[in-house]
Amino acid sequence: MLKITNIHKSFGNNQILKGVDLEVNKGEVIVVLGPSGSGKTTMLRCINFLERADQGSIEFDDIKTDFRVASQKTIRDIRKKSGFVFQNYNLFANKTALENVMEGLTVARGVPRKEAEERAKNALDRVGLKNRYDYYPSQLSGGQQQRVGIARAVALNPEVILFDEPTSALDPELVGEVLNVMKDLAESGATMVVVTHEMDFARDVASKVIFMDKGVIVEEGAPEEIFTHPKEERTAQFLKRILKEDYRADQDSDFPERDESLLAKVFGGGSGKKTYNWGVC
Amino acid sequence: MEIELGFMWETFLVALSGIPVTLKLTFVTLLISTPLAFFMALGKLMDHKISSKVIGFYVSFVRGTPIVLQILFFYSLLPTALNYFFKNVLHSGYNVFAWNPIIYAYTVFSLNTIAVLSEVFRSALLTVNAGQLEAAMSIGETKFQAYTRIIIPQALVAALPNIGNTTVSLLKNTSLAYMMTVKDITALAKIEAAIGYNYIEAYLVILMIYVLLCTVVQLIFRFAENVLSVYKKRIEVIPCLK
Repeated sequence: MLKITNIHKSFGNNQILKGVDLEVNKGEVIVVLGPSGSGKTTMLRCINFLERADQGSIEFDDIKTDFRVASQKTIRDIRKKSGFVFQNYNLFANKTALENVMEGLTVARGVPRKEAEERAKNALDRVGLKNRYDYYPSQLSGGQQQRVGIARAVALNPEVILFDEPTSALDPELVGEVLNVMKDLAESGATMVVVTHEMDFARDVASKVIFMDKGVIVEEGAPEEIFTHPKEERTAQFLKRILKEDYRADQDSDFPERDESLLAKVFGGGSGKKTYNWGVC
Repeated sequence: MEIELGFMWETFLVALSGIPVTLKLTFVTLLISTPLAFFMALGKLMDHKISSKVIGFYVSFVRGTPIVLQILFFYSLLPTALNYFFKNVLHSGYNVFAWNPIIYAYTVFSLNTIAVLSEVFRSALLTVNAGQLEAAMSIGETKFQAYTRIIIPQALVAALPNIGNTTVSLLKNTSLAYMMTVKDITALAKIEAAIGYNYIEAYLVILMIYVLLCTVVQLIFRFAENVLSVYKKRIEVIPCLK
């Protein structure tokens, strides 16, 4: 369905992608892992032409083009077939949750207002924001904003949804609600490419795991294979490091000495931590 | 020294009749300047080498010269130069001096306001984060749609306080139009005062009128800001934030 071949991208003298191939089939959930700076995000952004690749070609259903020569029209056609979920949500701040989701339907695709509203409401219901239609992004918690971001992509019925580290800007407490939404999506048969550091998500939800390092794909395969028997040394080292950190975070008994002047507020998302802090200031 | 209240009242009434001219100077200038300044800001942001150099030179030239000097220049030199041009180059009998002097006032004030507003718009456009532009493109909008629907509406709201400031200082600057024989509030009051040398009274009167006008302008902008920045407000739950 979606196939990219030999994609190269440099920023100045810094070569980020050094010839990456990727094939995505319908219904697949591909999780891309790798250390930061390995080119995961850049690859995703190149697919959606948020970054113009220096070399390589893309094949998306019946659209075939070289990255370098793609016209604005082709780029828009490819974008209309794909959804993109950003690390920082990037919701339209001047529009409500519902308007955010409707925007791509009414403006970019010419769907009549009424139908668009219906579809947008459905999408928001799916991500569990039934009672937040008329809230502006500034009135939502990070997790809720990201769920609107996901609804905005889902409402467009894209062939594939690209997730760029969707949980890394979130409070740890809010990660779960977003991952659950993504899990539901995967179970409903959506095709997804997910760049993430969430190992549990990769293990439980992915149909294929790709490990990238230094601008190339080092290894790819089924999650159980990659996690238990990585073939490449680099993959093994990366996993060891990440999983060890996870383990350490769980087991850490070495808390710093208690400082009475520091008060940590640990509550759930939307519980009013931030609002409390503003009140104090 | 004695203040003649009767004279003040008369001058007040006369000066009031100058308000339409002052407001006309302010709003026509704003109408001319806003679109031009906006495109200038976009031009500067596009980062085109030549255009941003030219714009940068224009802005620093206009902002680096006193407005009084610009008035003297445009009001004294320009008509003479134009007259020379019409007479000796085009050989027509067109009389430049018959122009309404308010045209020169519009020119000078617009040149200044464009320079200020272009900077206001430029910084306002920069306050909207690039991520929203990317998001708009990713859902299939054209760059034009993304700008007109997402970026520019937010930039205008961000620019509103500064547009308000610019309007107030423009309104005050229009008092210099009397130098170009435009009969605005200041000019009318000065004419009244000249008859019996009651300058103090006349100045007091126009001072009050300008304070009133500027206050009204500020209130209007504050109201507009409150209405338009609805999306920035959080739900008010904590009384102490009010």
